[in-house]
Amino acid sequence: MRRLALLLLILVVAGCMSGAWPRGSRQHDGPPSQGPTSAGENLAIIVNQANTVDNLSTAELRRIFLGTRGHWNSGRRITIVMMEPGQPERAAVLRQICQMSENEFSNHFLHGLFTGDVLVSPKILATPLGVRKFVFNVPGAIGYLRTSDVDASVKVVRIDERFPNEKGYPFHVTSPSAK
Amino acid sequence: MSKQSKLVAGEAGSLRPSTVGGWSTVWRYGSALLLFLVLGVVIVAAGVVVIHDVRSTGLEAQKMYAGSVRGLHRIGDLQYAAQETRRSTFYALSTNDSNLQVKYADQSRAADHLVVEGIRAYLHEATTPVEMAVGQRLEHDWLAYLNVRDEVLASILEGSTKEAVDLDLKSGVPLFDRVREDLEAIERLYDDQASQRLANVAASSRRAMIRLVGVLGITLVFAIVSVWVIQRSRMQSAIQLARLQMEFVASVSHELRTPLTVISSAADNIADGLVEGKEEIKHYGSAIRRQSHQMTELVNEILLFASTRDRKNAYVLRPLKVSALIDSVLARTSELVNSVGFTVDVQIDPGLPSVVGDMSALSQCVQNLLVNAVKYSGRSRWVGVRAFLSDSEVHKGKEVSITVQDRGIGIHRLELPHIFEPFYRSAAVAAEQIHGTGLGLSLSKTLAQAMGGDLSVVSELGVGSVFTLHLEIAEDEKLLVASAASGPDATVEK
Repeated sequence: MRRLALLLLILVVAGCMSGAWPRGSRQHDGPPSQGPTSAGENLAIIVNQANTVDNLSTAELRRIFLGTRGHWNSGRRITIVMMEPGQPERAAVLRQICQMSENEFSNHFLHGLFTGDVLVSPKILATPLGVRKFVFNVPGAIGYLRTSDVDASVKVVRIDERFPNEKGYPFHVTSPSAK
Repeated sequence: MSKQSKLVAGEAGSLRPSTVGGWSTVWRYGSALLLFLVLGVVIVAAGVVVIHDVRSTGLEAQKMYAGSVRGLHRIGDLQYAAQETRRSTFYALSTNDSNLQVKYADQSRAADHLVVEGIRAYLHEATTPVEMAVGQRLEHDWLAYLNVRDEVLASILEGSTKEAVDLDLKSGVPLFDRVREDLEAIERLYDDQASQRLANVAASSRRAMIRLVGVLGITLVFAIVSVWVIQRSRMQSAIQLARLQMEFVASVSHELRTPLTVISSAADNIADGLVEGKEEIKHYGSAIRRQSHQMTELVNEILLFASTRDRKNAYVLRPLKVSALIDSVLARTSELVNSVGFTVDVQIDPGLPSVVGDMSALSQCVQNLLVNAVKYSGRSRWVGVRAFLSDSEVHKGKEVSITVQDRGIGIHRLELPHIFEPFYRSAAVAAEQIHGTGLGLSLSKTLAQAMGGDLSVVSELGVGSVFTLHLEIAEDEKLLVASAASGPDATVEK
């Protein structure tokens, strides 16, 4: 009996490692991830291919995602693209970039729009594919995706001079199963 | 000999008489068949021309469909895709849901890809400079509109609806109008091409119809003329045949009346007791016998001719000695020849092989030739009969030729083709009141051919004629003749 339980455990672990284990309904249109597996995948910050920005610091990124910076250096208005509440990517951005909870983030934008500190609220997309297409269509858009969801239609910016596949990259996303 | 004319093969097999020269001569030699052949060729050629024209019209119609109709379908698709590109952009204006806006942006881009592909296909198939220019202008205007469309979409997705509308009104509308004008220009080009090709099809169809009517008309006229000419020829032939038959009846009647008159007069004299003495009665009896014999010969000739025409005679073909044949004929004609004081010069080459034939038929044939020679020799009173070995023009190898030559009035070259026809008599002979039925030569040729041989003539007007009877060598002696002809050293295996 103990041998049978051990065999089943090995099969389950092997299935997860090889990707055969189902990972929900998430779409994977982009190239294969270059970073950790879904249990610990890096989070890429993406902009439109026409955007001249190649690198952002963590602080700049925080100001952008909190809406306190409204325009790129080129003068183009910044459009923030977020995924719907509850998505792991959104949770990672709130935690690692904005350093806020969901409620704090909502309150921040309500207050900012009321006071005029924030000019435009984030655009909410339901899927990574929607995020990618939005950023592709809007030259001033900035969003985020798992590295496995990224493709050539959008541009990945370095954060603190690091690409998502490089060591020391600061933003990661964890899947619900990994929690 | 240069003035001599030779006829190797006559037309004795035909019952249809002929006139000299003109259409009748042409028709005699199978011209009716030739006419129908030409008529058939004309009809086939007409059919080929008509089929070619119908195919050309069909191909023109196919080109019209392939070129213009398909082109109009393409331009219709392009117009729809262009409208869809713009319509989807407007749909994005109608909602604040970013997910729906992205979906409409996608639809707009999918539609614009169809337009770009359609323009490329049009440019690929464009052949004229005008088509190329219009296609390139459309491509340029469409790309300009797409740049504005991208900006409008970006503004919509950013939430700047007012900016999007302003940009579209300011730049999008004029550019899209230019695109629409370009598409209309292409549509007009397709319309022009379709009109041109339609005109070509109509012209081709009209041309085919005119050709068809023309060719059918020519064929009809040709057919009518052919039938008319053939009927006319047949009618003339029938008239000629009737005339010849009437002449034949008159001639035979005359030939019968002369001996009958002699016989009747002799009988009257004897019956009236005017003839006295044994010698005088003997003289009358001899005259009656001679005239009766002449009548019998005439009736026999007519019966023989009739039997050869009906092909009732069954000949017994066997090897015959040429000398025996000629001796038989000379014996039968000696009384006639001697009575008119003719000399018959007979030369038979020694060692002649036997020939194939029926003794009675060949005797009749040679006898006819000899009697004719006597009849038409005029004052020369000389007839030459020769028998010799010669090269055959019909069979391979050798044959035996028997010639009957006279130094008489000869035959005109225009009459040579007709002398072997039944009932035919030369106008000159009729004018000189030389009696005859017009059956002798026809009968002789028919008999010669029935023996596997032939009868030919060489004649010159005022000089004389040579009739040659060509006879096949008996099968048993052919090898001997062949070995003798190949040389003295040749051996013959038996």
